[in-house]
Amino acid sequence: MLGKLIKHETRATSRIFLPLYGALLILTIFTKLVMAIGAPDFFSEAASNNNNVAEIILGISFTLYFVLIVGICVMTLMMIIQRFYKNLFTDEGYLMFSLPVKTWELVLSKLLVGMIWSAVCTVMIFLTFFIFSLGTFSMIELSQTIRSAYSMFYLQTGMELNFFMVEMILFILVETVASILMIYVSIAIGQLFNQHRIVAAFGAYIVITIVMQIIMSIAMAVFAIGNLESMVLNGSEAMTTIQWLINGSTALNVVLGIGFYYVTHTIMKKRLNLE
Amino acid sequence: MTILSTKNLTKSYGKKTALANINMEIPRGRIIGLLGPNGSGKSTFIKLAAGLLVPTAGEITIDGDAPGVDTKAKVSYLSERTYLNDWMRVSEIIAFFEDFYTDFNRIKAENMLKDLNINPDDRLKTMSKGTKEKVQLILVMSRQAQLYLLDEPIGGVDPAARDYILNTIITNYKEEASVIISTHLIADIEQILDDIIFINQGELVLSSSVDEIRETRNQSVDGLFREVFKC
Repeated sequence: MLGKLIKHETRATSRIFLPLYGALLILTIFTKLVMAIGAPDFFSEAASNNNNVAEIILGISFTLYFVLIVGICVMTLMMIIQRFYKNLFTDEGYLMFSLPVKTWELVLSKLLVGMIWSAVCTVMIFLTFFIFSLGTFSMIELSQTIRSAYSMFYLQTGMELNFFMVEMILFILVETVASILMIYVSIAIGQLFNQHRIVAAFGAYIVITIVMQIIMSIAMAVFAIGNLESMVLNGSEAMTTIQWLINGSTALNVVLGIGFYYVTHTIMKKRLNLE
Repeated sequence: MTILSTKNLTKSYGKKTALANINMEIPRGRIIGLLGPNGSGKSTFIKLAAGLLVPTAGEITIDGDAPGVDTKAKVSYLSERTYLNDWMRVSEIIAFFEDFYTDFNRIKAENMLKDLNINPDDRLKTMSKGTKEKVQLILVMSRQAQLYLLDEPIGGVDPAARDYILNTIITNYKEEASVIISTHLIADIEQILDDIIFINQGELVLSSSVDEIRETRNQSVDGLFREVFKC
């Protein structure tokens, strides 16, 4: 049943996102073409070879591009909130909660599809950067730069860059899951109220944020006191400190995420209060 | 033989008690009217049976199990709200139901849509409230469920469609299935009911078969309702 929920969730969200990403791709390719034909030196100091009309068009299309990217990012966040709130806690919830599915499947299907769209958003932004920069670098140069970055990193920190990147990716992943679950738990708490549920959800979110800030500050303070020396040092020791910070945050986010999930699930199972 | 049974079923919202100590056994093969004035606890009872609410005390079982994934697969629930996504076409909702409910009969749904002149390619957004309610009822009645829970199924539809819908309810359910209909439009559904349950302010007032009311009291259900709940 989880697979079916994911399928329908993807269907419900892609009708909004596919046109947006289609528009983004078309705009990017259009901009790139105008740049290649009319203003090859658009980004460099010497703007001698550029055509005025092309420059105006590029000005407009880069503005559009920027608006679209911001719009898509905002839409992704809105979608994560709206699909969870509207589909589960308003009238649509009457259908969703009478399906023969487990409560955790409902939560997980929303979470996974939200994660997928967040990932698509990131990948698409990098893809547009890549399209813009096509022709301005050679693959050989790029691979050389990457290789030298690896060896530089190893020289300075005594650590493999790959290993560090895995830790970073894990951190970002866990951080994203925890922040989505924090939105979910706020919505779930908000629906316990009979009136002003959205206001209550925002209130819950703010309270959780404040509590987390306090916990974080205390954790950081404790951590800093024990590691004052390594913070001022360079090279491998400073790297150890940074690693501690990253992995510590990951661990903390895992704990928070589990907490948020548990509360969300319990409220949905035991204290469901549809309008 | 019992499809639904409750033991001291109680549900309160904060300090307010919506249902208090309800004990009942609902057999298979019956059409039961769950009748009571507004705010008497009808919807709460149906939501408990549908697994949308959890009892505060006591228990409710469907086919021997507490409400959960298993019972939801056997129960076809029509809420008093229009719960369908506005942006969907009727055909997409049919696909949705077909995916999640193994007992969903697509042909039955398509035939009923045809009878009520509803185009499967129409989006719900473009439909009137009454038409949406019809679509919802068609979906719910197209399942071969063991228990149908219909919360105010005919409130918003015109009298002609009302007759068609009541007819569908009688002809569609299997012998071993039961239908619980909550409504205050008693006169309209009286003809199809086998049993009635009167509830008021969360308490069970009366539970009887319709024949018994007619024979021993020489009254219609509507008449009895007006007498019991006289203001």
